[in-house]
Amino acid sequence: MNKHFAVIAAIVVFLAVFIPLASSSPDGLERVVETFGVEENAPYWSGVMSDYAIEAIENPYVSTLLAGVFGTFMVLLAGLLLGKVMMAKRHVSE
Amino acid sequence: MHIPDGLIATNEPTSVTVTVGMWILSIAFLAWSWKKAKTTYNRSITSLLAISSAFVFAAQMINFPIAFGTSGHLVGGTFLAVLLGPYAAMLSMTIVLLMQAFFFADGGIMAFGMNAFNMAVIGGLSCFLIKLLTRGSGGNRRLIPSIFLASWLSVMTGALLAALEISPAFAGGVMVTVPSMLFYHAIIGLGEGAITAVLISSVQRMQPAIIGGLSLLKERTKP
Repeated sequence: MNKHFAVIAAIVVFLAVFIPLASSSPDGLERVVETFGVEENAPYWSGVMSDYAIEAIENPYVSTLLAGVFGTFMVLLAGLLLGKVMMAKRHVSE
Repeated sequence: MHIPDGLIATNEPTSVTVTVGMWILSIAFLAWSWKKAKTTYNRSITSLLAISSAFVFAAQMINFPIAFGTSGHLVGGTFLAVLLGPYAAMLSMTIVLLMQAFFFADGGIMAFGMNAFNMAVIGGLSCFLIKLLTRGSGGNRRLIPSIFLASWLSVMTGALLAALEISPAFAGGVMVTVPSMLFYHAIIGLGEGAITAVLISSVQRMQPAIIGGLSLLKERTKP
């Protein structure tokens, strides 16, 4: 478990350093959509933290960082869960 | 290249067919990878799978500028494929995409079938290309160039598929989406290739034992 916390800590540092440096320009697909003036339909699901921001937090850096840390944690947990389930029903013995 | 639900025209037969079709394809590939994963890996994969998925999620948040006021970010499919092998890589990337879609509305829910195929399935499959290019040996000098090429190609393939999938929303159809998507992603793919090559060579230097993707394929070809 300690290993997981160490990795999370390293990822938090990575996000803290790189979030301010990240480009806010549209990505390739968004650029293509903009270029050809395609109107997107309103999405019916806008997520819990749309656009990697926590609404209650005004500072955009802190908001994105916390959203990122939250997401990282969720992915880690989901990965551990998936691994557990996958290995629990193994057909071959180790 | 996460496709949002806003680009799916629910009142248009082509768009609906593509959306449903990609869901079916993705489910088929994920079921296959799940089945293969259960018999291929041992328990030690869990930790690496969780950690590398978490890293890929974080890395995907960092957009790098390319040109023309456009940015891109690491997808990480090939990175996961080299670390985990094709099967766990598909599952790992699917988790990342699932969390992005659910919590952050990055990539749609309806569009999940397309996004899972374009990034998770293609990413996992890139492992087979690397195996082909390195002739199954993870230790040779072709490894890093092969990883670079496979990463670039996985982004290009994903972008081509995305271009086809979103084309019903464009008045010009595939004639505009394919060239423009490939144009931007040819550049973004260079970033993908460079980042993946640097990441894998650092892992190779620091923790060579955890690079399991290629040895895994090698073992399976020698009964």
